[in-house]
Amino acid sequence: MDQVIQTIIIGLSNGLIFALVALGYTLVYGIIELINFAHGDLFMLGSFIAFVLISLVFHINADTGLPMMIGVILVVIAITMLATATINASIERVAYRPLRNAPKLAPLISAIGMSFVLQNIALLIFGPANKSVDAILPPVNVLSSFGISTITISSEQVFVAIVTIPLLVGLTWFVSKTRQGKAMRATAQDPDTAGLMGVDVNRTIAITFLIGGALAGAAGVVQILYNNTTVWNLGFRFGLNSFTSAVLGGIGNLQGAVLGAMILGLINAFSDRYIAANWTNAIVFGVLIAILVFKPTGLLGQQLADRA
Amino acid sequence: MTGPAGVAGDLRTGRLADDQVLVRARQVTKRFGGLIAVNSVDFDIPRGSIVSLIGPNGAGKTTFFNMITGAYTPTAGEIVFDGHPLVTQSGKKIRSKKPFEVTALGIGRTFQNIRLFGTMSALDNVRVGLHVHLKSHWWDAVLRSPSMRAEEQQSIVRGMELLDLVGLTDRADVWARNLPYGDQRRLEIARALATNPKLLLLDEPTAGMNSSETAEMTSFIRSLRSSLGLTVLLIEHDMRVVMGISERVTVLDYGEVIAEGTPEEVRASPRVVEAYLGRGAADT
Amino acid sequence: MTTQTKPVERGFGGWVGFLVDSLVAIPGAYAHAFRRRPVRTVVLTVLVIFGLIYPVLNKEFFQPYNRLSNAFPLPFPEDAVVTFMMIFAIMAIGLNIVAGFAGLLDLGYVAFYAFGAYTAAFLASPHFGSVSIVLFSETIPGFPGIHLPFWMLVPIAMAVAAAFGALLGAPTLRLRGDYLAIVTLGFGEIVPVIFKNLASVTFDLGPIHLVNANLTGGNLGINPIDPPIFFGIRFGSSSGIAAVYLGMILLAGAIIIARNLERSRMGRAWMAIREDEIAAEMMGVNPVRTKLLAFALGASFAGVAGVFQASYQGLTTSDFFTFATSILVLIMIILGGIGNIWGVIVGAITLVFVDKTFLPYLGQRMAAINSDLPNPSQFNFLIFGVLLVIMMRFRPEGFIPSRQRAAELRHAPPGQAIGSAATMGDAAVAAENLADTIAASQEEEVLAEAAAVEEETAAADGTSETPPRGPEGQP
Repeated sequence: MDQVIQTIIIGLSNGLIFALVALGYTLVYGIIELINFAHGDLFMLGSFIAFVLISLVFHINADTGLPMMIGVILVVIAITMLATATINASIERVAYRPLRNAPKLAPLISAIGMSFVLQNIALLIFGPANKSVDAILPPVNVLSSFGISTITISSEQVFVAIVTIPLLVGLTWFVSKTRQGKAMRATAQDPDTAGLMGVDVNRTIAITFLIGGALAGAAGVVQILYNNTTVWNLGFRFGLNSFTSAVLGGIGNLQGAVLGAMILGLINAFSDRYIAANWTNAIVFGVLIAILVFKPTGLLGQQLADRA
Repeated sequence: MTGPAGVAGDLRTGRLADDQVLVRARQVTKRFGGLIAVNSVDFDIPRGSIVSLIGPNGAGKTTFFNMITGAYTPTAGEIVFDGHPLVTQSGKKIRSKKPFEVTALGIGRTFQNIRLFGTMSALDNVRVGLHVHLKSHWWDAVLRSPSMRAEEQQSIVRGMELLDLVGLTDRADVWARNLPYGDQRRLEIARALATNPKLLLLDEPTAGMNSSETAEMTSFIRSLRSSLGLTVLLIEHDMRVVMGISERVTVLDYGEVIAEGTPEEVRASPRVVEAYLGRGAADT
Repeated sequence: MTTQTKPVERGFGGWVGFLVDSLVAIPGAYAHAFRRRPVRTVVLTVLVIFGLIYPVLNKEFFQPYNRLSNAFPLPFPEDAVVTFMMIFAIMAIGLNIVAGFAGLLDLGYVAFYAFGAYTAAFLASPHFGSVSIVLFSETIPGFPGIHLPFWMLVPIAMAVAAAFGALLGAPTLRLRGDYLAIVTLGFGEIVPVIFKNLASVTFDLGPIHLVNANLTGGNLGINPIDPPIFFGIRFGSSSGIAAVYLGMILLAGAIIIARNLERSRMGRAWMAIREDEIAAEMMGVNPVRTKLLAFALGASFAGVAGVFQASYQGLTTSDFFTFATSILVLIMIILGGIGNIWGVIVGAITLVFVDKTFLPYLGQRMAAINSDLPNPSQFNFLIFGVLLVIMMRFRPEGFIPSRQRAAELRHAPPGQAIGSAATMGDAAVAAENLADTIAASQEEEVLAEAAAVEEETAAADGTSETPPRGPEGQP
C-alpha cells in the first residue's frame, strides 16, 4: 500500500510538470486550432537554459546557502521564462503566422519541422548525452518530520508544487479576469468577429504564445531541479504526455488540461512501476488514440473555444 | 402546371395511395438539444411531380432536406422513399441510412452553396456522380482489366451525354472552379443526374441568377421532369420560380408546416403572408 | 480528351489484345510526346537511360577510378544508396496515395515499412529455428527456420501491410485532419515499440505455450535474413548492382500500379473525398470504404519496400523504424510534389542522395578543413526541419506537384472559391449571393449552436446524437 501511495506521489509531481506544458498546448490549440508540435521541445530548451544558468552561470550546488539558492532559482525561473516566451513568440511569427490562411495541415507540418529544428539545436550545442546538475535542493524528506517513514515526499516534489501551483492559479485568473484574457477567449471563439470588435488578433495570438512559452520555460526549470538531468530528446516524452493531458481534459479547456495532466502523471508512474518503463510511451499513445477516437472532446469538454 | 392527373387537391396526408407517392414522411422531427428545428412534419411527394418547400430563413427547410438525404438522423418520425424506409427504429434507437446508401436508392441532390470538386474537370465531376453505379473494384483498376476499361469508356460516354443535356459539352475539360457561376449550377445538376436518381432535390437552384437565367433554369427543370420522368423537390426563395413551376407547395415556419397546397392556395393563405412579412402585413 | 471509339474486347482475348496494343502503341505514344514537348521528352529519355545504365557505369567508372568524381563536385552515390533510393521511392509512392490522392495525413507510415521488413524476417530467415519450412528456396531443406522465396514474400508482405493499413486506418475514419495525423503518429510509434518489446514473451493460453520466446528479436533484431535469389543470383547487399536492378523492377511495378489506381473510379473517388467529403458522400461515394482502401493500398507499398529492404540488408531491427523515417518519407512527397507520382519519386531520390551521399561528403570536406566543425550528416534533421518550414511557407505543394494539389494549396479552400459570383465580377449577383450565403450561414449558426447545446446535454445524460461532421459544419 505504501508503494501505491508513493507511486501516487511521484505521479502527481510529474503531473504538475505535465500540467504546465499541457497548458501551452491547450492555449494554442484553443486559439488557432494548431497542435504545436514543437512545444515539448521548447520545454526541453527551457530545461537546458536552466541547466546552463544553474551550473555554468550561477554555479549553485548543494552547498549553496538557502537564501542564495532561493534567490538564484527565482532569477533562473524568470530568465528562462522570458527566454522561452520569446522563442515561442518568434516561432509563431516565423513559422505559423504566415500560414494562418493556409489549409489546416500546413502549420501542423511546419510545427513538425520546427520540432526537429529545436531538437537538433540542442543536439548541436549540448551533444547527445544527458546533461546533469547535481542535486541542489536539500535532500529532505518532508514527511519524516511527521513521523512517517515509509512514504517520502522529497523537497524536490514540494518544490514542484510550490512553483507550479501558483502559476496554474495565476493563469486561470489571467484568462478569466483580465481584459487580455477576455480577448484571448473571444479570439478563440471567433477570430473574425473578435477582430471586428476591436481585438488585435495578431497581438492576442502572440501573447498566447508568450504565455505558453513562459509556462514551458518554468516547467523546464522545475524539471531539471526535480529530475536533475536533461537531454535533447526530452521534449518527445514530455510533449507526448502533455499533449495527451490536454486532449484528455478537453482541448481548449484549462482546468481540463490540469486534470488530464494529473491523470497522466499517475498513468506514467504506475506504468513505470508496475508494468515496464519501455512500454509506458506506447501506453500513453494508446490512451491518446483511445480518447481521440472515442471521446475527442475529452473529459471536461471544450471551453476556451466552442467550435465543433 | 397541373401534375399527373388525379393528384391536384388530393394530397392531404394519407389520401394518396402508396404507389403514387415517391416520398412519404410522417411526423418527422429533428431536435438539436433544446432547439426543435423540424417539428412533426408530414410531407408527401407524389411521383413525377414538382414540389416546392418554402419558408422564411431558419424555418428548417434544409434540415428537412438533410434528413431525406441521410445527412441528419431524425429525432422521431419515419421517411419512406420508393417503398424503402430510410429511417428505421428499433426500440429507442433511431437509425437512418447513410447518405451514400440513400444516393444508391435513387436520390440526387444539389447544394445551396455549390459544392463541386473544384480541381476536377467538369467531366470528372459528373463521373464521380456515376461512382455508385459503376462496378469496377480496385483490383480491376490495378490490373486494368478489360471490364474496367470498358466501364471507364462508358463512363466517359455517359458523362458527355449528361454534359450535353445541361449544355456544357464544350466545357468538359474545364476545371469546375474555373467555370462561370451559371455553368457551375448546371454542372451540379448534371452531377446529380449522374447518380441516376428518381428524386432530384434542388437546394435553391436559381440563387444568384437574374430573371432570364431563372426562366431558363425553370424550364430546364420542367423538361428534366418530363424527359427523364423525375420527381423534383425544390427549396426556393424566388417566388416566381415557386409559382411558375411547382404543382404543390409546402410552407415551413419554425419547423412546422403552416400551409400546403397549390401555389395559388398557399399564396393566399394569411398565415403564410404573416410568416414572411409579419403580423401587420396579413391584414393588408 | 481521348474517347476511344474501338469497343473493348472482353475475356482472355481482351487481355492479350490490350497488352499487344499497349506494346504496339509505345512507339506511337513516344513519337506523339516527342512532337508535343520535344525538350521534355528528350530530357526524360536521357535521364531514364542514364538511370538504367547508371549502376553499371558506377561500378565500372565512378567508384573504382574516381575518375569523374574528382572533377565533379559531388560524389556519385554508391549502389547501396541507389538501392535505398528505390526503396524510398516505393514508399513515397505509397504515402502519396494516402496523403496525396486521398488527402489523409499519415504520420505513422513507418509502421507498414516495419510490417514488411518483419515479414521477411519471419518468413525468410533461421529465426523460427524450431521449425523448418523450405519452399522453392535455395536454402537446403532441413535448415532451421522458415524460408520462402522472395517472389512469395512480396505479395505476402503487401497483404500483411494492407491488412494492418486498414486496421490502423479504421479508427481514424471519423476524425478530421489534425487528429487523424496524431492517431496515425501514435500507431507509427506503438508498432515499433511492440516489435521491440516482444523479445521475451511468456504466454500460456490453450495450445500456445511460450516461455521466454524471442518473437521479434527485440533490440537486436533478427539476422541473418535470406537475400532475394533468382536463378542462383543473389540480390542482397553483397551483390551490388543486381540489387539495384531488382529495386528498379519493383519501383516500375509500383509506378504502374499507382498510375492505374489514379486513373480509375477509385482514384476519382479519392480526389472527391479529398476535395469535399460531404459532397462526395452525397454523390454516392462510400467514405469509409474509400478511405480504408487508401490506407490499405498505400500501406502495401511500404510493405514491399520493407520486405525488399530487409532481404537486401539481411537484417532488421526495430531501431530502423522511427518517427523520423515517417517524416522523411513525408518530406519526400512534400518536397518532390504532392499528388504527383513522378514528383514524389524525384523527391525520394533527391532526399536519399542528400541524406546518404551528400551530407556525409560534406562532412568529410568540413572535417578536412576543421575537425571541430559539427558533422552535418548527424544533423540531417536540422536541415530537413528547416526545409519543411520553408516549404510550407513558400511552396507547400512541392516542386513538381500535380496540378490539382498545386491549385488547391495556392488558393482558398474549396467551398469558398466555388459558387462565389464575385469571380464573375457581377456585383449585383454577388450581392444577392452574399445575402443567400448569410442567410444560409445564419441557419447553420443556429444549428451549430444548437448542436453544441445538444452535445452538452447529451454528454450530461449519456446519449449522443451529433449532427454529422463537416469541414465547415455543413451537413
